[in-house]
Amino acid sequence: MIITVCIGSSCHLKGSREIVKTLESLISLHNLKNKVELNGSFCMENCLKGVCVKINEDVFSLEPKNTEQFFKEEVLRRLSNECNQL
Amino acid sequence: MNVSIDTSYKSLNKHHEELCGDKVELLKTADSHILILSDGMGSGVKANILATLTSKILGTMFLNGASIDECVETIVKTLPVCQERQIAYSTFSILQIFHNGEGYLVEFDNPSCVFIREGQLLKIPYAERTIEHKTVREYRFKVQLNDCFILLSDGVIHAGVGQVLNFGWTWESMAEYALKTVKSTLSASRLATTLIKACKDLYNDIPGDDTTVAVARVIETKVINLFTGPPANKKDDARLVRDFMEVPAKRIICGGTSANIAARVLNTKIKTSLIYTDPSLPPVATMDGIELVTEGVLTLSRALALMKYYVEGEINEVFFDELDKENGGSMIAKQIIEDCSILNLFVGKAVNEAHQNPGLPFNLSIRMNLVEQIKEAALKMGKEVHIKFY
Repeated sequence: MIITVCIGSSCHLKGSREIVKTLESLISLHNLKNKVELNGSFCMENCLKGVCVKINEDVFSLEPKNTEQFFKEEVLRRLSNECNQL
Repeated sequence: MNVSIDTSYKSLNKHHEELCGDKVELLKTADSHILILSDGMGSGVKANILATLTSKILGTMFLNGASIDECVETIVKTLPVCQERQIAYSTFSILQIFHNGEGYLVEFDNPSCVFIREGQLLKIPYAERTIEHKTVREYRFKVQLNDCFILLSDGVIHAGVGQVLNFGWTWESMAEYALKTVKSTLSASRLATTLIKACKDLYNDIPGDDTTVAVARVIETKVINLFTGPPANKKDDARLVRDFMEVPAKRIICGGTSANIAARVLNTKIKTSLIYTDPSLPPVATMDGIELVTEGVLTLSRALALMKYYVEGEINEVFFDELDKENGGSMIAKQIIEDCSILNLFVGKAVNEAHQNPGLPFNLSIRMNLVEQIKEAALKMGKEVHIKFY
């Protein structure tokens, strides 16, 4: 799974650095480093809905305060679905 | 040979003096750079007036094509006579380097210029002449790429005399130190800053005399192309990128959308990182064929702040430490300040709607303003600046 966080100007000001930090620590906390790749991206051209975060090609709009919830509801759920399909 | 000349100088005032008794003039003619250093007799206001008059008279006359004989004659007849000593006196050195590689140096009573070529101190033959009872030394020579010339006032070679060192720094030790420092520094301003710091240390922060170094380095003409902001009209994207890539230059892109446009037109990829070397700036990225890719307005604001400080502030080692940091703002400022003679700006006029949001803690819709100020700062540094809008 590839998670991409926008680090463009607007998203940066809305807290993308905090989101990156939170995701980094959650990924290592859940021992997911070999399953999840965290990337940065310049402007995703959806600034009004920043901070823009993508899981593979699906776009989400995050704030630092709902990052943990996003991680549980989207990242962990998708990972367990992937496991079940196997 | 087509060369550029990078010049800079730094002075220390004699302890307790508000004015410096040394004066440097940096001048440009259409085909040359001129450096003048003069050291007025005594210290404080009197010395400052003598040195200022001397360097200004020399500068003005030289620019208008007067010969050194006429200049010296004018100075001797014009300088006010010191009440105590009954003489009018100020030393001077004038270095002129032509863009075709010709060099001319004339010295009157200053310590000799330090010449550095290919990692060695160089002795250049001179001719002595007497003009109006003053003996001047004249040097004529050909410059080479990477040559370095350091003019100094006697405060430099006397640094530390009677305190840290019995006889002061001496010309020989100073020249040896300069030789080492030339290798480890890129620009004239960094070299001048390092040399003057050494003088300050030798004086234990209490300079016993006005102390000045003026540096000229012969460099290749270095071009930086900086692209920031998407064009107002999407159909101009390809044209902007083509212009941006055209001449040989170091290339910098500031702005996410701009980087995306360049990547699309050049059919390459942006490699972003998530390493925050500075918490308040987004990380930098890389792209094939581009020296540096950064976020736009925040990073440019930081670079501009450093450039303004460089132009207006008191720069010292601490400033250069800041400039050496690995964040986008410092990296851009360092390139422009230390490694650039011609700056070409390729500026798109499109405005990002999201940047108009009054809820953001920083006004992002200021690109045009930033670009104008970057141009101003670079001009003050003596760079040639061109802007093209799209």
